Amino acid sequence: MTPMLRKIVFSVAGLLLLIVSGMSFYESRNLKEPVVVSDGVTKVVRLSTYFSPLQGTANDCNIYILEGKEPGATLCILGGTHPEEPAGRLATWLFAENAVMSKGRLIVVLSANRSGSTVTRVGGAYPPDFTIPTSWGGQTFRLGDRWSNPLDQWPDPEVYIHYPSFQELAYVDIRNLNRCWPGRPNGTLTEKTTYAFMEMIRKEKVDIVIDLHEAELQYPVISTIVAHEKGQELAVIASMMLTDMEGFKMGMEFSPKNLHGLSHREIGDHSDAISLLFEAPEPFLDATRGRTTREQLLTGQDDFVVKAGKHGLLFEKIDEKGWPIDVRVGRHTSAVLQVMSSWTEAYPDKPLVCDNVPRYAEVIARGTGAFLRAPAEARQDRLFHE
Amino acid sequence: MELIITIIYYALVAFVSALLIYNLIKSKEWQKEILTIIVLIPFLLRLFMLK
Amino acid sequence: MDATTSATVVLVVMVVGYALAKWLKLSTELSMVVAALAGGLAAGFGVPARHIAEGAMTYLDINLIFFTATLFMNILKESGGVAFVVRGMFRRFHRRRAVLLVMLTILLLIPGALTGAGSVTVLITGGMVATVLVSMGVPKVKTAAIVFVLAGLSAAAPPVSLWAMMTAAGVNMPYVGFFWPLLLPCLLAGILTMFLLGWKGTPVEIDRALQDLPEPPTGMNSLRIALPFLVFLALVLAGRTWPHSVVVMGLPFMFLCAALTSFLLSPVKIDFLRISRSTIDQLLPLLGTLTCVGILVQLMTLTGARGLLAVTTVTLPVLVVYASLFIVLPVSEAVLMWGAAPVLGVPLVLFFNTIGLNPIVALAGMSIIWPLGDALPPTAIIGRLTVDITGYKESYMSFLKACIVPAIIISIMGTLMVIYSKELGFLTGI
Repeated sequence: MTPMLRKIVFSVAGLLLLIVSGMSFYESRNLKEPVVVSDGVTKVVRLSTYFSPLQGTANDCNIYILEGKEPGATLCILGGTHPEEPAGRLATWLFAENAVMSKGRLIVVLSANRSGSTVTRVGGAYPPDFTIPTSWGGQTFRLGDRWSNPLDQWPDPEVYIHYPSFQELAYVDIRNLNRCWPGRPNGTLTEKTTYAFMEMIRKEKVDIVIDLHEAELQYPVISTIVAHEKGQELAVIASMMLTDMEGFKMGMEFSPKNLHGLSHREIGDHSDAISLLFEAPEPFLDATRGRTTREQLLTGQDDFVVKAGKHGLLFEKIDEKGWPIDVRVGRHTSAVLQVMSSWTEAYPDKPLVCDNVPRYAEVIARGTGAFLRAPAEARQDRLFHE
Repeated sequence: MELIITIIYYALVAFVSALLIYNLIKSKEWQKEILTIIVLIPFLLRLFMLK
Repeated sequence: MDATTSATVVLVVMVVGYALAKWLKLSTELSMVVAALAGGLAAGFGVPARHIAEGAMTYLDINLIFFTATLFMNILKESGGVAFVVRGMFRRFHRRRAVLLVMLTILLLIPGALTGAGSVTVLITGGMVATVLVSMGVPKVKTAAIVFVLAGLSAAAPPVSLWAMMTAAGVNMPYVGFFWPLLLPCLLAGILTMFLLGWKGTPVEIDRALQDLPEPPTGMNSLRIALPFLVFLALVLAGRTWPHSVVVMGLPFMFLCAALTSFLLSPVKIDFLRISRSTIDQLLPLLGTLTCVGILVQLMTLTGARGLLAVTTVTLPVLVVYASLFIVLPVSEAVLMWGAAPVLGVPLVLFFNTIGLNPIVALAGMSIIWPLGDALPPTAIIGRLTVDITGYKESYMSFLKACIVPAIIISIMGTLMVIYSKELGFLTGI
């Protein structure tokens, strides 16, 4: 083979790899996720409504507003702060597609960091997407990453210095939505996004913000509510009620005052809202995990993580049954509903009553997919895409 | 300003890609050629805004 | 087949694939890709194009830092700046051996510290420092050992320490607080190595040495050398002092500005395109290593091989881990080069974190041990490069022997940093 021919052969092989992988990246970046909103959704606006510079960016996400039949408090649920923690996003889907507020107002965000949902982690070997089985076939979701897509925000700094605390953080966390609160109007895309959410929280007079997450079992903050001091009582009662009534353990801990950039700290500090963050267990994120597959993501079963648990290296129990996605989603829906009822008991003049959203036991019994609505059967004006 | 810096980075990626392609054409060792192509892939994926 | 068995099979296939590729005289970088592909096939994933490309992307930003920083160093060398500094230093301090040795240590530490690559140290200042050392009566074998050990330490030194950066990224730990835990041992071990191997010698033959050193071009002066560094420093400081008013620039842009300043200030005409091309050519093995390591790590993660390594490591008895660091880290470096950090470093840091050690100091301790492996086969890239550049012609084995004493000191220092990381936690400033 002549050197030129050899070069051509190698280049064609490289080009093939580039095209095949490039198409896969393009497809997952542009995969549309349908949302068939419930009858309780009274308005859908864009995040840029609250901060216009976000218009046209990857993070100009949908905001689903559910106005109650009777007035009350306003609660906002953030899903997709870290898209690689899918139970949080799926739980918000169940609210957007099923919830009806009889008292108070609910604001639901399904893709808080939409940019982060369009990319998977380099070195992480994540599947690009996953499918939740439904009676009408199944719905596919982007898996996403912990950080905004570099295609939407590049470069990273030499070190990330948080605004306004000046706390030093890892350079890559300048693209981590949950290290960029409360944001700033002239910052990076991720900082502008949190700033826009802060504007929304202030303008809509939100009383409670709940940020839904999942954590690796090797991480000490797990199966818990992290609460700003303003939400201390609410979180304590909700955690007790969940543990007593719903049969799953839910701890409660305070948001550290000197750990900046996180929603549970900054939203509470920079607005009138109470800020809470929920963590569910996700073995898929553990560094000791075995094969990185869609199946592992959805079943949460992993022999290696179990082995690490037997050696006392984990902060949450795990056995061969794993942590199925329905269990993780159910924990989140129940925890949100519990916060609403605990709040209503404490503030009966500003109630929050939400109907039609499945709780923990029901999600496990029927599966998350049972509560997702078929886009093919939806009226066009009720169909949105994330 | 942010946009200008980002454009500079894309220009840098384009420049490195061009250098790699030049070296690929000039190379005489087959192993070096394969390695150059492997190194080139991430630069091109970023340049074409695919990843 | 249970998870452990199947991951073990995949791992064995990867090792066999790697060994076969090496046996067929493939480079280490390509052997890693062969291992990755073999693992993917053995695990039933076929040839996963998306994962190969995604893995290759892992260190794109670091590769850009590499390119721009090395371009800066090469322009500085080409403009005669490095020769100017070395000659000036030599002329001024040739009667004061101790001061000269300290200066040479710093000169060797800077290029690698800025770029994260020991090879850059060897290429930029290694040759000239070797000339100076030989003229000071230091035997060639010891000179080569000094350049190699210092090059390794320079790569581990802050601000850019790839082992620490890659491992920290793998455990979602901020690359913050590493400055002093990395700088102090690197400086200390560097000076110790220099004095241990370079103290004994003969009085300096200044004239002969100056004859052997390249002549800087007329017009070169301290300002022309200092200004590019000042530009770099000013950009770093601006970003740190006014982070919310200054636009995010990133290290590659800062190095690019320094390189352009050096280019504009050069008293001799520099062909920018030629030097860029030779920089890429010079860096190809390093860029290739990082890209191929990314592919290997991605495939290991996909197939569960990385999980197996991780869970095996974190469940080992603590004493076994401590006692084996000095051998495991250099050997893993010799086989995987920087790949050792995400593959072995990540589970080790998780392990240290779980048993209550300070992960930053522990990782810094590990980071100074890793580069020792760069002299060991199968790769031995930096070792071979050093021997070439310093002009040492005797057996490679005697070069390795000359490295042993500093290597033992560095291993002990690094291991003690791991064991006492909690007590040394104050160094992080966090």
